[in-house]
Amino acid sequence: MIQQDLKELEERSIYIIREATTKFDNVAALWSMGKDSTTMIALARKAFLGKVPFPVIHIDNGVDFPETYKFRQELAKKWKLNLIVAESEIKPEMSGFACCGENKTVALKKVMKDHGFDALIVSIRRDEHGIRAKERYMSPRDKEFKWDFKNQPAEIWDDYSSKLDAKGHVRIHPLLDWNEVDIWGYIKKEKIPINPLYYSRNGLRYRSLGCTHCTVPIKSKAKTIDDIIKELVVTKVEERSGREQDKEKIYVMEKLRALGYM
Amino acid sequence: MLINRITLLGHKDHGKSTLIGNLLIQTGTASEQRINDAKKTSQKLGRQFEPGFILDSFEEEREGGLTIDTTRVQINYKNIGFEFIDVPGHEELIKNMMSGASYAKFAILLVSAKSDEGIRPQTKRHLFLAKMMGINRIIIAVNKMDYANYHREVFDSIKSDIEDFLQKIGFDRKQAYFIPISAYTADNLVKMSKKMPWYKGSTLMEAMKDAVETEGKETDGKLRIVVQGTLPTGKKILTTGKVISGTIKSGAKVSIVPAKMNVIAKEIFVKGKKQKLAKQGENVALSFDKVPDGSLRGSVIYGSGSAAKPTKRVDSLIFFTKNVVKPITIKINGNEIACDEAKIKDVIDTGTGNKMNAGYDRTLNAANVELRLSKEVVAEPFDTSAELGRFVVYEGREFVGLGIVKGA
Repeated sequence: MIQQDLKELEERSIYIIREATTKFDNVAALWSMGKDSTTMIALARKAFLGKVPFPVIHIDNGVDFPETYKFRQELAKKWKLNLIVAESEIKPEMSGFACCGENKTVALKKVMKDHGFDALIVSIRRDEHGIRAKERYMSPRDKEFKWDFKNQPAEIWDDYSSKLDAKGHVRIHPLLDWNEVDIWGYIKKEKIPINPLYYSRNGLRYRSLGCTHCTVPIKSKAKTIDDIIKELVVTKVEERSGREQDKEKIYVMEKLRALGYM
Repeated sequence: MLINRITLLGHKDHGKSTLIGNLLIQTGTASEQRINDAKKTSQKLGRQFEPGFILDSFEEEREGGLTIDTTRVQINYKNIGFEFIDVPGHEELIKNMMSGASYAKFAILLVSAKSDEGIRPQTKRHLFLAKMMGINRIIIAVNKMDYANYHREVFDSIKSDIEDFLQKIGFDRKQAYFIPISAYTADNLVKMSKKMPWYKGSTLMEAMKDAVETEGKETDGKLRIVVQGTLPTGKKILTTGKVISGTIKSGAKVSIVPAKMNVIAKEIFVKGKKQKLAKQGENVALSFDKVPDGSLRGSVIYGSGSAAKPTKRVDSLIFFTKNVVKPITIKINGNEIACDEAKIKDVIDTGTGNKMNAGYDRTLNAANVELRLSKEVVAEPFDTSAELGRFVVYEGREFVGLGIVKGA
């Protein structure tokens, strides 16, 4: 995995985040308390001189890790975030596709509608998955949240031309260019607070954090950020290998995203 | 590590995705999971292993055997960072091709050496577009040499045809490298092929390395800041923008056009912190001694001695995706400006490079157009200021092309 120039990545993300608030009236961001969306909020703090001007949404199915809830509470307070918790109901028989696809998306649709958000900042990265690599920086979704991936808008030079469809919204992807290892490089450089579950305990750590039902840790001795960076530079294993939802079928990510999943 | 972006170019089925897929494998970059996933899908579809599936991730792309949309992957080759931008080769998907290619500084053009494929209109069209979008270095990879029995004559004939076209469109021939390859069998990708002893040049990856290493660096020039908007927070009104060239110091006297305001930049914030100076590439938030009236989005800030001139008249070269007849709107530096008039002077057939008359079909061709804009904008020739000299073109809500400024 390549470690890119952090300054260049940072400038591009700040530009996109500012562009989002310039182009759209009612912006919100998704915050899973994971490393990526937390980094995005740190970037927004830079873009807006310390104050995050949009609310951050946690789609809470009630079964995230205790560490995650603690982290949410502490950081929301420290950074004075306008936190919206959107509860999604989880049923015991649900897992993977059904859970992430239906459950979370239903909760997201509700919170978007209730607040009338027209743009949603989502901290996905191109290197996470082949399907995510096909995304635009700004990507329209229709009123059913569907992603028309066969007819994406032109996005030439820095002109993010996405226009809003009636009752739809636009997904904003300021971290699209970042690699996993860049996120960690930036967390280190900027001393961004991070969920402790990412660090190795008893030979295991979480590389990608979902909820307790569907996320499994990887074998790792990485106890510090430096260890994690060293591990990532040489790894040949995919980041989301600990996510159940991605494994069920080859095209599951495409289906999830087409249906409105993050 | 700095990333050098390279776009793939060329007609559909000439091997763009296969080439990048195999480069990922040959350089040991692709994860086992992505390779296995591509293998499994190839098997399921009853095909030979297709390395292109590492990039073509949509079900529709794999089953249809085409690239629908652009994607990017990175390779570290001898401590140089490369990002390959894959693009679709179908002409109806050209807006996706342009979306990918617009981020590149270099290009690899693929031309199939297979007897029934060869140079196609899209081959030359992509070359034309690359030149227009400011790509000045290109590798022409003559692909599928295995189908041509690795014969030198096939390579030479394609090379000479492309060279003629490059000359016709004014592309510096010395900035073009020609390499015979087979993307599928990996000939001349990372290792020199033993099957083409007549070829004395370098491998594709070595040529890329050379292209990147010998490229001249851009220098800081006169101050230009494109205004993005205002900050929604804070007691003060701050103007945000991106420094596209030059530097700005706090206390400097600057001017804002087209509003024709002369102001003093009192404070400069970069990445949330107050700074004495901001440089090229940085996103700034500025406070001035006077509060600007209304929105300045799309305005340009310049310093003393290097005035930027707003204008309503722009001479341009526009590549059209369709034969536009209705009024057009251009988007330039965050401005959206309706054109009162768009006078076509002549049309260039991008498949041949020939100059045609003004009435020629503009679909997928380029035209020299005199634009009269409904309001003033700062536009500078693309050759001297890329960021102030390029725009995208809309007809209503539909994207219909891109353009560059020849004169303003």
